[in-house]
Amino acid sequence: MHRKVTATLKGDKWFITGAAMGGLMALIALVGPYLVPYNPQEMSFQPFARPSWEHPLGVNDGGQDILSELVHGVRNSLSFGAMVGGLALILAVGVGLVASWYDGVVGKLLMSCADIFMAIPSVMILILVAALFQPSATVLALVLAGLSWPTTAKAVRAQALVLRDALHVRAAVQMGGSAWYIMTRHLVPETFPLYLVGFVAKARMAVFTEASLGFLGLFDPERKSLGEMIHYALRYYYMDTWWNWLFPAVLCLSVSIMAAGFMAISLERVLDPRLRSLWG
Amino acid sequence: MSTLRFFLRVLLGFSVLIVLATATWAHGAEIRIADSKGDWGYPNPWKHYPRGPGYVRMSWVFETLVWKDENGIVPALARSWYYDRDRRAFVFEMVAGAKWHDGKPVTPEDVAFTVEYFKKHPYGWVVLDYVERAEPTGPNQVTFFLKRPYAPFMEDVGGTMPILPKHIWEKVPDPKAYGEPAAFVGCGPFVFKDFDVAKGTYLYVAFPEYYLGRPKVERLIYVRALDPLAALLSGQAHLANIEPEMRPLLESRGMTVIADRAGWVKKLMINHRMFPLNDKRFREALAYAISQEEIIEKAHRGRGRAASYGLLSVDHDDYNPNTPGYPHDPSRSRQILESMGFELGKDGFYYKDGEALRLELLASSITVAGQPAADRDGEVIRDQLESVGIRVDLRNMEQTTTDAKVKNWDFQLAISGHGGIMGDPKILNEMISEEYAAGSVNSARFQDNKELLKLLETQMLEMDPAKRRAMVYRIQEIFAEELPSICLYYPETLAAYDPKKGIRWFYTKGGISKGIPIAQNKLSLIR
Amino acid sequence: MGRKAKTLGNVVNFLVAFSLLVYLSYALPRLMPGDFVTAMFASSHVTLSAQQEAEAKAYFQREEGFGLYLLRIVRFDWGWSYALFQPVLSLILQALPWTLVLAGGAHVLASVCGFVMGVEAAWRRGSRVDRALVGAMTMLEGVQEMAVGVALVAIFALHLHWFPTGGAETPYAEVSLEARLVDMAHHLVLPMATLVISYLPGNFLLARNSMVMVLGKEFILTARAKGLPEKRVRYAHAARNALLPVLTRFGLRLAFMVTGVVVVETMFSYPGLGTLLFNAIRSRDLPLVQGVVLFSSAVVLVVNVALEFVYTRVDPRTRHAP
Repeated sequence: MHRKVTATLKGDKWFITGAAMGGLMALIALVGPYLVPYNPQEMSFQPFARPSWEHPLGVNDGGQDILSELVHGVRNSLSFGAMVGGLALILAVGVGLVASWYDGVVGKLLMSCADIFMAIPSVMILILVAALFQPSATVLALVLAGLSWPTTAKAVRAQALVLRDALHVRAAVQMGGSAWYIMTRHLVPETFPLYLVGFVAKARMAVFTEASLGFLGLFDPERKSLGEMIHYALRYYYMDTWWNWLFPAVLCLSVSIMAAGFMAISLERVLDPRLRSLWG
Repeated sequence: MSTLRFFLRVLLGFSVLIVLATATWAHGAEIRIADSKGDWGYPNPWKHYPRGPGYVRMSWVFETLVWKDENGIVPALARSWYYDRDRRAFVFEMVAGAKWHDGKPVTPEDVAFTVEYFKKHPYGWVVLDYVERAEPTGPNQVTFFLKRPYAPFMEDVGGTMPILPKHIWEKVPDPKAYGEPAAFVGCGPFVFKDFDVAKGTYLYVAFPEYYLGRPKVERLIYVRALDPLAALLSGQAHLANIEPEMRPLLESRGMTVIADRAGWVKKLMINHRMFPLNDKRFREALAYAISQEEIIEKAHRGRGRAASYGLLSVDHDDYNPNTPGYPHDPSRSRQILESMGFELGKDGFYYKDGEALRLELLASSITVAGQPAADRDGEVIRDQLESVGIRVDLRNMEQTTTDAKVKNWDFQLAISGHGGIMGDPKILNEMISEEYAAGSVNSARFQDNKELLKLLETQMLEMDPAKRRAMVYRIQEIFAEELPSICLYYPETLAAYDPKKGIRWFYTKGGISKGIPIAQNKLSLIR
Repeated sequence: MGRKAKTLGNVVNFLVAFSLLVYLSYALPRLMPGDFVTAMFASSHVTLSAQQEAEAKAYFQREEGFGLYLLRIVRFDWGWSYALFQPVLSLILQALPWTLVLAGGAHVLASVCGFVMGVEAAWRRGSRVDRALVGAMTMLEGVQEMAVGVALVAIFALHLHWFPTGGAETPYAEVSLEARLVDMAHHLVLPMATLVISYLPGNFLLARNSMVMVLGKEFILTARAKGLPEKRVRYAHAARNALLPVLTRFGLRLAFMVTGVVVVETMFSYPGLGTLLFNAIRSRDLPLVQGVVLFSSAVVLVVNVALEFVYTRVDPRTRHAP
């Protein structure tokens, strides 16, 4: 089966485009920081300098090279987004599936937990966290994951509830399949499209939140991130730095999300046999 | 197909909307001022927020005895005054014919009552501890009797204390809770009409019987706008505080940009109660390690001026030009550290008894003249200190969190700032001694130097300007020697306005009232 | 489990969650470091002596237990804002319509457009239109709200002068009601456009994916075999099944209304609940923070409960889940 999957994937246009873009971003994230000539924190250049050979993307308001900033930012933001997306997803799927299967007291309890987590305004939690701990990337990732799993959990649960009544699942139950078996063999794969959507959504939210944290002054000055770059670039939008400062950061973000999105689409098609016929 | 038609219809609707709506923008003679926060409280002494912009909004409605313009003190409700040294009293001759917004005349009884009332219900901006009483001593004369000499009197009481209408407030037992329209009756050039808390907008209407003449505009409106550039260029506002980078674009579009003298200072707060910061030599080492010019260059692209280490502004009349300075000298800094027993480790950082020298630096987006702005000062200072050999943990926190930590001495180094350094030298007392400002976040609260404390006390009592100046000079000297906090720089404070409205805005000399560095002096709308 | 027991279970659920949220609205704001007096007087020209500070703090921070708080809440006495000297509840109710119109309107618009576009794209899956739309929407997904907002302001407000740069309406315009409504709509265009552009891609992709999943099922084939008109098959049969996730998302997003639009509200100086909460937190205006947290929590809970009911109505299959 795997050989067939990989073969199909290789021939799939969505996958190729997505993987190419994703590969590019991953390359930048992994190798980039070693290749850029300057330390992104170094504030010794002419601020707002136009792009030139020494500074292909120019210099920002603090005298830091934008290209170096961008490359480091890609690495930090992508890893941050992936961390949040992954953590949130695991939580969401776990809770959602368990809640859908044990739909009695346990299910209700879990959904109440989800409601409560969802209801608390994140602004306050973020300030609290930043005040009590250091706003480091890991702490922030945990907090954001903890605040964002409820939505996907609910969606997973909703879909799983529907699936439970499907003929093949009911048949499996009749034939004596254990909860674990049904969940892993049927529910998990069949709610797959929701994961990718959920993962990308959470990762995207995480990276965007980084920029909004600038409002609260909560970003970590030791760590360059795309969100922080965009925040500063937007502050000086009137300085005519659209093309060399704002645009590259937004583009990198966009491309990363597109890559994830495209790959998600192609993986859906390939892995779900029922869908294959739809795409031809 | 049908969806396409639907979208086309929506587009058509929008165009109609645009045409219709732009018609409602035509207004009469009014001035709109943009501000990023918007909401500064209701404009009366007990309800406005205790910050500059709050006082300014109140100043349109309430008058003081004297006021200031761009050159210094000018008469307001008092047309002349003098200090009677023998009786230790200030005598004010008031103008005749000033009226309250409800038509009643302003009398010396109102002034006397105001003093009494503020003594009962204190107003944070005015210190009346040294005023014994105020008495009407003539048909248009009122005399203030002081308990003891009080040097800042003219600025503090004369120029800041708003006069209240006796016939209204004598019936009010609790001014904080009093919210009737009568609470906003003053004798200023504008009548307060509305304050929308949620939108952060204020409406004032001209008072035709103002004693200095009818104001130049019919309506004064404050709007909340996060982006002053967009607000000015789109005509949404006619006056706004701007960032230095916006200047070229605004001037090219016909806006006038004005700059203030150095009225606001950025400081490095130091917790001088803990080791190693409690040692004066260490603080000196910090000062030598920090380059003020470099902070201005790197974090603000050269827009700003290096600050005097003596706390008072370099543009102040009583600025001591011989205040000790600390030019950037990393090697001197290292010398001092080594003389204190710190040893340079292999990694280029200092150690003592095996422990690394490590300081925590708190930074936050500080409110400069009412607008909060995050900046890179912390990053530059960190780099400077680390290049000398002191490890720095830079932490960006939310403003109130940082303030609370500083207030509770739960910090080591913190970046903060405040205005008022062009105002009366009383600011020195407030920013140095715990006696005056234990509850303040910006005060150094430094009690270790007895000579300093004594001088602070006596300068408040010295009514002779020359003698007082000598004391103020010495205070600045000692402060710069002790360095309980290190003054960094004065940011470039700019405002821009639309000259086509026919109003000329200016920065007040010494700041409005107690030293508020905002270009919204009511005289702009009167003369 | 009978229907009655199930409803009872839901109600109990709701009550438990709600009480916990009430407690959190009481406890969490108090955990915030710093207090109202510090926030008010920081960077201020007014310096407080130790005694003045103590007095001010005493005036503003009257400690009360959770029990008393609960009693007050139930009586709709949500306290007075420290900073704004107005009852908290009235402040919330003043700000609510603005948020409802802006966020609610944007969500509705984005959901409807996203749903329709998603369904149409899924129907034409694999075609050039579909691929172009998916590509464009995915690219749009990567652009932040703030960037969209600033771009819109720079183009439409600064350069073209078509729309105002911010505010809910022209302040103190003193015009007729119709003109006022038009003015408000005029001010609404840019912020709502920002939100719609941010929400649209997510909705589109979700609708399209859900629709695609459903299209292969047998009943669609049956409907087509029956010779039903294309449009009918599309919307009355297939899309209806894809409606569930979109509706869920809409409901959840709506629940997040209060804090979800803080960025756009702040940028356009829109006087909604998000701005109210944000400013209240910044100035540590405890009663107001508590009030808004309580209110938004209540909204989230209520919307979720409503969603539960809507699930069963829209998709009969879930009704039978025990």
